[in-house]
This record gives sequence, C-alpha cells and structure tokens, in this order.
Amino acid sequence: MRNVIVFVEHTGDHTRKVTYELACEARRLADVLGGKAHAIVLGSGAPALAERLKAYPLDVIDVAEDADVDRFLIDPTIDYLEALARELGPSAILIPNTMYGRDIAGRILARLEAGLASDVIDLKVEGENLLCVSPKLGGTTIATCTFKNTEYAVITVRPNAFAVEAAGAGAQIVQLGKPAGKQYAMLVESVVEESSGELGLEEASVVVSGGRGLGGAQPFETLLKPLADALGGAVGASRAAADAGWVPYSLQIGQTGKTVSPNLYLAVGISGAIQHKVGMRTSGTIVAINKDAGAPIADFSDLLVVGDLFQIVPELTKLIGTAS
Amino acid sequence: MKIVVTVKLVPDPNAEKRIDPVGMRLVRSGVETVLNPYDEYALEAALQLRERLGGDTTVTAFSMVPESTKETLRKALAMGVDDAVILSDASLAGSDTWATAYAMAQGLKKIGFDLVICGGLADDGSTGGVPGALAEYLGVPGLTNARHLEIVDGKLHAQRETDSGYQVVSGALPALVSVTMAVGEPRYPSLKGIMGAKKKSIATMAPADLGLDRAVGSDGAKTELLAIAPPPARGSARVVEAADGPTGAKIIFDFLKEKKLI
Ligand SMILES: Cc1cc2nc3c(=O)[nH]c(=O)nc-3n(C[C@H](O)[C@H](O)[C@H](O)COP(=O)(O)OP(=O)(O)OC[C@H]3O[C@@H](n4cnc5c(N)ncnc54)[C@H](O)[C@@H]3O)c2cc1C
Ligand SMILES: Nc1ncnc2c1ncn2[C@@H]1O[C@H](COP(=O)(O)O)[C@@H](O)[C@H]1O
Repeated sequence: MRNVIVFVEHTGDHTRKVTYELACEARRLADVLGGKAHAIVLGSGAPALAERLKAYPLDVIDVAEDADVDRFLIDPTIDYLEALARELGPSAILIPNTMYGRDIAGRILARLEAGLASDVIDLKVEGENLLCVSPKLGGTTIATCTFKNTEYAVITVRPNAFAVEAAGAGAQIVQLGKPAGKQYAMLVESVVEESSGELGLEEASVVVSGGRGLGGAQPFETLLKPLADALGGAVGASRAAADAGWVPYSLQIGQTGKTVSPNLYLAVGISGAIQHKVGMRTSGTIVAINKDAGAPIADFSDLLVVGDLFQIVPELTKLIGTAS
Repeated sequence: MKIVVTVKLVPDPNAEKRIDPVGMRLVRSGVETVLNPYDEYALEAALQLRERLGGDTTVTAFSMVPESTKETLRKALAMGVDDAVILSDASLAGSDTWATAYAMAQGLKKIGFDLVICGGLADDGSTGGVPGALAEYLGVPGLTNARHLEIVDGKLHAQRETDSGYQVVSGALPALVSVTMAVGEPRYPSLKGIMGAKKKSIATMAPADLGLDRAVGSDGAKTELLAIAPPPARGSARVVEAADGPTGAKIIFDFLKEKKLI
C-alpha cells in the first residue's frame, strides 16, 4: 500500500463529518507510506463539494459529476473508484462504515480482489504492514488485522474515531474520465425523503436514544427531539420503540439495528438489554435516565439518574438551552 | 422462480463469547450456533415472495459452514424453506470476506437462481461486505438494504432504505438483494413446519465440485488476524436518585459540564 483514497459519501454538496475525519487520517497515513492522499467525489454536487474539501490536507481531489452516478445504483460509482485505484496502484481505500459505505466496500473488494477490514477505529503502519484495529463480536473483543495476498486494502472506518484538523494545502482538483462502454442495470426511479437526514445517526457525536419508557411516538417528537437539537445530536431508539411503530427502524440501535459510537450517548427509558448494548457500548460517555435503579444499563453506563424521564428531560433541555 | 437465501450460522448473539488467545478463533464450545438474526429477515422476505408469486417458486437456503453445524439450518426448513445446500470443506476454514464471497459465488452459480436474497450483516464478523462482493462475482445487478420487494412481469421493484428515506429502484432478474428488518418479523416455525423439516434435504457441496481457480480459506484470505484483546474496562455507573425533574436535570447537566461535553 502506498496511496490512500478517501471515498466521499454525500448527498448533493452536503457531506458528513466523517469525510473530514477520513481526509485527515488519509494525510497521516500517506505521509507514513510515502504516497499521496486522494479523495474521490462523484455525482451531483461533486464540484462544489470538492472546492470545500480543499480546506483539508489532501493532495488530489478526483471529481466526476456524471448523471449516471445518480440515476443508477452503485455500479457507475464502483467503475470510477476501480479505475482510480488501478491507476494509482497499491492503495488503501478508506470508506465510512455506514449503510452505503459497506455497499461500496463489498463491491470494490471483489473488483480489486482486496482485503477488507471493517469498522476500524485505529490505523497503524508497522514496517510494510498496515494494521487495522476494530471492535468485533458486539464490542466484546478488539481485533487487530493486517492485509496479505493483495495490493489493495479496503477499510471501512467508524465515524467519530479520528480527529479532524482542517489544514488544507490547496489540493489539486482532477476531473475523472468516464469509464467506457458500460451499461447499467439498477435504475433509481425516484428518491423519497421521509426525514430531514442532515445528520446520520452513525456519525452523530451525540445520540439521544429513547426506549419503551417513552410510551409512544409523541414523546420522541416533543421530548427527545428538542433535547437532541439542544445537544446538536441525533435521535436513536431501542428495538422496543421501533417495533411499537413509534419511530422508523432506521433509528434502531443494537444487534439488529445500527452500531453507534458517539462521544455522548443518552439512554432515556431504555433498560439496556444485551442486544441494545452491543450497538452502543463503545460510546465515549454513556448517561442513562431510568426509573429503575436496577436496570441493566447501570452496568455499562457512566451515570444513571434514577427518576421520571417525563420530568427530567424537559428540564434538561431547558438547562442546556439557556447555557448555550 | 428460484430464490436462494444466503444464511450464515453464527454463535448465539446473546451468549457470552470468548476468543481462544492461542488459536485466535472464537471458542464455540458451550455457545449454541443459530441462524444469523439478519438472515431470518432474508428468509422471511423470500417466503413472502413465494406466497405472492405462487406457481413453481422455490426457496433454497445456502450456507457456507462446517458440516458439523448444518443441522442448525433445520430451523430455516421449518420456517418453510424448500431445501438447503451447504458449501463445506476444511479448505474453507479461515476464509475472510473476500474468500467467503468468492467461494460462495461459485456455489451459487452452481445451484442456479433467479434471485439471491442476503441479510444485511453477519452478527459475528459484521463486515457487511459479502452481499456487494457476491453481486460482483455473480455478475448480476445488486441492490442492498431493500425494505420492500416486488416482482412484476419478471422484473424486480424495490424500496431501498437510505438514512433519510428510501429510493424506488427497479432492475432485471437474475439479481441479488439484501434486506433490512422492515421486510417483516421472521415467522416462527409451526409444528407442521418442524415435522416437515425433518424430511427435507440438506445437500453438501465441496469446493472440489466448483472448480475454484483461487485459493480460499486462510491460504487465500486477503486479511490476517494478528491480535485480539478485551475492550478497555468500563466501570459501573454512578447511580444517583433524583427527587424531581429539576434535580435530575441538574445532576446530568453538571456531569456533562464536568466531562466537557457541553
Ligand atoms: C434477535 C434479537 C435482536 C434484537 N435486536 C435489538 C436491537 O437491535 N436493538 C434493541 O434495542 N433491542 C434489540 N432486541 C430487543 C431487546 O432484547 C430488548 O427487548 C429491547 O432492547 C428493550 O427495549 P427497551 O429498553 O426500550 O424496553 P424495556 O426493556 O421495556 O425497558 C424500558 C425501560 O424504561 C424504563 N422506564 C419506563 N418508564 C419510565 C419513565 N417514565 N421514566 C424513566 N424510565 C422509565 C423502565 O424502567 C425500563 O428500564 C433484540 C432482541 C432479539 C431477540
Ligand atoms: N458463510 C456464509 N454463509 C452464508 N451466507 C453468508 C455467509 N457469510 C455471509 N453471508 C451472507 O452475507 C450477509 C452479510 O454478511 P457479512 O458481509 O459477513 O456481514 C449475511 O447476512 C449472509 O446473508
């Protein structure tokens, strides 16, 4: 591995914080490996976003604003990424560990016959080897792996794992040529927005999560959302809340939902079942509000306040609102 | 219509797990093997499709597993799947995501399919890379995170879940999809299903039947596990009783301040 390529996940010209985390980590790695730090931005909004990425320490920003990227599912994107990787030769490809990122990883892995390290929280270079550290088995084990038998390393990186220091050196912007002679099969007919997804749950640095204790859909809107907004975070949920239909499954955290690792996880009216725990146990600080002092969440949170969430949450939102 | 569902068998997600520090493999003794929870949703989606399509639609469960754990697939058969095939051999042990996807794709080609349905994530490895890599090696259109699936006039129509909603996507068969939990709660096997499952077949396929032209297993894998360690210890919570709302809020507020989180 010599070069590092950051895959930029975005909607239009909006990208997520994890992109900047990856850009900074790519710089550090490329310097150790003696290669270049690239970022690839594809589809609608790419040129504007590329301009903004210049504020981060990359060498090259590879851009293609191609309508096929938005009209067809994934394949055009992978064609561009593969072409760039082959042109650069041995490289590490950093991809956010999100729903979309995992798709990209699986595809490019097959194209390049690459190794995949998933959900990585730390990267080190030791001699010739790139070492990837990631929590496995629901966070009960921290594994370190490396690559062999391949010139390409595909690495999905957990959001919030790396620091951002914006210190751009004015990266060069390069337009990518369209891969020739391709026909695409999966047509995106329309896109339906159900929630304003400015902040993805997986990359939020604060997650305010609600469980069965909320008792209905309404408290998610009237209690949790304002608290999450005051903290600049996103709302999550336990499976009990999603099963009850109070929130969409896309907010569910845990074994059969999303894994999150924010700096602050606030569990409101959630008991802390093992299946919930595995999706959030690696969070920085965990605070719980629960009326039951014996709830299992006490075993893996930093603070448990025993009381009624309906009384505590509005007061907390007020306190934070007046403090900021 | 021939539907094949990829089903991984994983150590019980609810059991305490331990890694053997010498062999650096999961200690499976004492931990029950179960169907990967996500894959039960894939099975459910397939069975729903079969009900809607009727006719000669069949559902096959396909798993790359050691022969010794194959009986776990009886649950899929009891749920209503028609038959099961496993890909099994010592040479597959230690396969990483790449090797798994490569070997499984050759097995799927041999079985034949109109539609492959995968789960979204394996509970043990959880790379989420297999479905995408399979689509590539099978050379068929791939669609991940489907929350609703329909086949009309031999064409696939789906809603693909995104972080903020969904995309309406269509494509030709044969194809591969992975599903989310929104396809519906997996059914419980009925008593009749459980009895019927005893008579259904679980066929075994070996890599030798597939003419693989790449090394798989730990020899062919593109990644190597170097070390494992327990996660940093996390002490129990400070537990504080709050007499009323304002008191509780103040306790949390002060704590967040102290931790420089606000
Ligand atoms: C295969 C499988 C997969 C699963 N996957 C997931 C998963 O991905 N994610 C997940 O979360 N779960 C998952 N579960 C479900 C899990 O086992 C639990 O059932 C679920 O997490 C419970 O959700 P909860 O904590 O909201 O509800 P409960 O366990 O009912 O807890 C509610 C809590 O709210 C407290 N409470 C109630 N009222 C108040 C109040 N007024 N003020 C303060 N506190 C209050 C109660 O004391 C209680 O502790 C899975 C289960 C299985 C079998
Ligand atoms: N060994 C396996 N046998 C059958 N299916 C598998 C296997 N490994 C992965 N899969 C499928 O691929 C999905 C994603 O797994 P993974 O990419 O390993 O997280 C699972 O939900 C399964 O449907």
